[in-house]
Amino acid sequence: VRRFARPLLGAAVLALALVVAATRVGPLPPLGALLDPARGAWALARTAELPRTATATIPGLHAGVDVRYDDRGVPHIFAKTPDDAYRALGYVVARDRLFQLDVQTRAAAGTLTEMLGKRLADVDLETRRQGMPWSARRKLALLDSASDAGRAFRAYADGINAWIDAMPPAALPLEYRLVGARPAHWSPINTIHLLNRMALTLSFQTEDLDRLAAEALVGRVAADALWPLNNPIQEPIQPVERRGPTVDRSRLPPPGQPDSGSLLALASIRRELATSTRDASSDDELAIGSNNWAVAPQNTRDGHALLAGDPHLDLTLPSIWYEAHLVVPGVMDVYGVTLPGAPWVIIGFNRDIAWSLTNTGSDVVDFYRETVDDSVRPSRYLLDGRWLSLEREVDTLRGPGSRVIAVDTILFNHRGPLTRQQGRWLSLRWLALEPSADLDVFPRAARSRSADEFMDAFAPFAGPAQNTLVADRGGTIAIRSTGKMPIRPGDGLGTRIRDGSTRASDWRGFLPISAYPFSRNPRQGYLASANQQPMDPRASAAYFGANWFPPWRALRINQLLRADWSVTPEAMRRFQTDPGSPRADVFVPEILAAVQRVERSGRGDSLLHRAAALLSEWDRRYTRDNERAVLFERTMSERAARTWDELRPSGSAERVWTPPSSTLYRLLADSGSAWWDDRSTANTRERRDDIVTASLRAALTKTIDAHGDPAAGGWRWSRVQQANIYHLLRIPALSALDLPVQGGPVTLSPSQGRGTEGASWRMVVELGPTVRAWGTYPGGQSGNPASVRYTDRLPQWLSGELSPLLTPTMADSLGRQHTSAVLSLSPRR
Amino acid sequence: MVRSALRVVLLALAFAIATLVLGWWTVPVIGAAWGLVDREDRAAAMIAASAAVLGWGALLLWDASYAAFGTLARRMGGVFSAPAAVVVIATLLLAAALAWGAAVLGGAAWPRPQRRN
Repeated sequence: VRRFARPLLGAAVLALALVVAATRVGPLPPLGALLDPARGAWALARTAELPRTATATIPGLHAGVDVRYDDRGVPHIFAKTPDDAYRALGYVVARDRLFQLDVQTRAAAGTLTEMLGKRLADVDLETRRQGMPWSARRKLALLDSASDAGRAFRAYADGINAWIDAMPPAALPLEYRLVGARPAHWSPINTIHLLNRMALTLSFQTEDLDRLAAEALVGRVAADALWPLNNPIQEPIQPVERRGPTVDRSRLPPPGQPDSGSLLALASIRRELATSTRDASSDDELAIGSNNWAVAPQNTRDGHALLAGDPHLDLTLPSIWYEAHLVVPGVMDVYGVTLPGAPWVIIGFNRDIAWSLTNTGSDVVDFYRETVDDSVRPSRYLLDGRWLSLEREVDTLRGPGSRVIAVDTILFNHRGPLTRQQGRWLSLRWLALEPSADLDVFPRAARSRSADEFMDAFAPFAGPAQNTLVADRGGTIAIRSTGKMPIRPGDGLGTRIRDGSTRASDWRGFLPISAYPFSRNPRQGYLASANQQPMDPRASAAYFGANWFPPWRALRINQLLRADWSVTPEAMRRFQTDPGSPRADVFVPEILAAVQRVERSGRGDSLLHRAAALLSEWDRRYTRDNERAVLFERTMSERAARTWDELRPSGSAERVWTPPSSTLYRLLADSGSAWWDDRSTANTRERRDDIVTASLRAALTKTIDAHGDPAAGGWRWSRVQQANIYHLLRIPALSALDLPVQGGPVTLSPSQGRGTEGASWRMVVELGPTVRAWGTYPGGQSGNPASVRYTDRLPQWLSGELSPLLTPTMADSLGRQHTSAVLSLSPRR
Repeated sequence: MVRSALRVVLLALAFAIATLVLGWWTVPVIGAAWGLVDREDRAAAMIAASAAVLGWGALLLWDASYAAFGTLARRMGGVFSAPAAVVVIATLLLAAALAWGAAVLGGAAWPRPQRRN
């Protein structure tokens, strides 16, 4: 026995070591390749920072390209042709963000399972059923490879693939090592996948289904009043000739009789499609939004136009944006942020203009109830009395190693993909799925020399519609909500599920560009957008959409810009993180007034008195150190639960949909509205002040329970609300969590909910004789978690500071003191 | 003593170079070969394990000479919910286990030469 004991022990130790080294054990990746100190994850320490000098070859390059990285890690690319610039951009983006390129594209292509396994099968199936990969293939088939966009996509792909082919083993990103995958070669369709994904984020709105669910509970008239087509508070993007917003506080109709039968059946659809959290004071306060504004020379201190932009999106590490400067002498000199995966600057500036975008939120999604020949396995659908064949696509979902995980059949008709919900078939028409000829707008716009030229170049943009704001050195400022907006039959609205059995339900075309909300050099001397309703409904009857973002950010920008007739770039920067809140300015006095009325009537108590005293101490600013915003937010949540109890199906703890806070503001003017009645108290009919004060009392009790005594420091906003910037794989160790920020729900720099959304890029540009610009984003240029450039901009972003953006005209003019690395790219011989 | 140390260093060099050129899987291969060649020495497996730790340790030192190593170690520790040092030690233990186990098996796979009295 002793003779064999040692070999047996050796065999056991070796077997165990080989198992953990070569195979996945539970969540652990194969440790041999991961911990290999020469070419495993440890080697990333050697490749974390860019070498001072490097050379590389890229196939297809026409001439050498000089890339100078500045001291913020921004590549300044000096090329002889645009295609070479895009090749170089692909190369440097891949060098910094290879895993991000891959995983983002997979998310849009429905191929995450190939990298991450079958636990993501549902995500991939949903993506495919939305028609995204189907759409990308159709768009690619129609893309002229000789067009600017076709050539740019190909060139960008060449650059990415050159890096993948030349990448030393030590540089393989950590994430690939953790998931046990390798990067796949990049194809031009991936850029289309990425743009589709952006369209999903910005335009896939399923409120038609939310509205239906609400109608099923309170009736159509009430639902239409709670979610009106036009926001009760109007401060539109296209300015009107008056100062300040208009407010509609007319009486809301009471809750109606629930609609029954089919409506209830359809109402359950939204359960499967909706994703938003339902416990907030209102859904609109959870929305991602963006800001941009421009000030005309007459309203600025130095007499130069100013432009600011900060798109609010998911906060991720690495960041959604990659900063770059592309110079092709005589052709292009553009600086700004690109989406890793697309070859263009999306938001930025050149030597003459600056531009920024916010999402318009126009309604480009419709659902149709289809009549099919078989409710389980349909092959035809009814259209104008004729049975037409459904297009059938058999989709195979594969896991790592190409093994088949699932096979799914997706049906399409002339509108788009079909989904089966509760035994009914719905088709989806979504503008983002449709091929368009707008892929060249960004490079053309980036070459514009004036605001007018920019607007012309951007005109064909199909969508998702963007509030495109531009300013130029000549002092012109302009904004237009640009993107195709469908013309619908009948009432023209897109808020209902339509009958799919007739072509009469289909879109009739698109609004002409002359109908788009637009303004150029308005008398007020500035322009601002914050996803609010773009046009005052009294100025145009055209239907652009419904369910507009709350007006609060727009109100605040307008307040700030109206009050400042000598705006500076520094003020523009400060405004971007302004902690003021028109929402709090509106609701706090209403709450305190209700308390006063209740106390005057002798129905007050010490708890209510204390709560009101605490709330009245607040300056209504969401600074990090304030200790009262938490009580206000809790009161708003409590008030939503008590006011909108009619929207909670019996037996459910969740509301089907929560009206926007602007609707609540309207309701507050009506003290006896039936909406105030609490259904759970059968013999009592509550009025406004009962609900408001009950909410405040409950808020104080719950806030103390959750955060301790108000004097103990636990109410400090920085301890209550933080930004959470997750890594793309949501690995906490690679994320930046619990970051204290200035801002709260619907402030200009919003921080709300789980804190996973916010200002993804902040930029201020001064259009003087020489264009000057400042910017930052949360994260850093590198996707390597070991690099200092992975999170080097976070402190600056948290404090609301910006960095000057360097714009050398030639490679050598960057200056040695600002040059951190040099990359020389040459054609492959 | 000096001879043993020299053997460890030379073997460590072999582990380091082979890992650098070919990858982690060379550790059990070299360990087995060493166990076979040095099968007369009962300490052959320990020598292999020590050399593997030394070889990989040297490679880790090379990595650690870069400023990013500290951040990387912290992140890696975070990924495994362990202190950074634990991941570094786990790396060295993996090398040791691969080399020791393979050397023991290598030594046992071929009959030991009969000692002449």
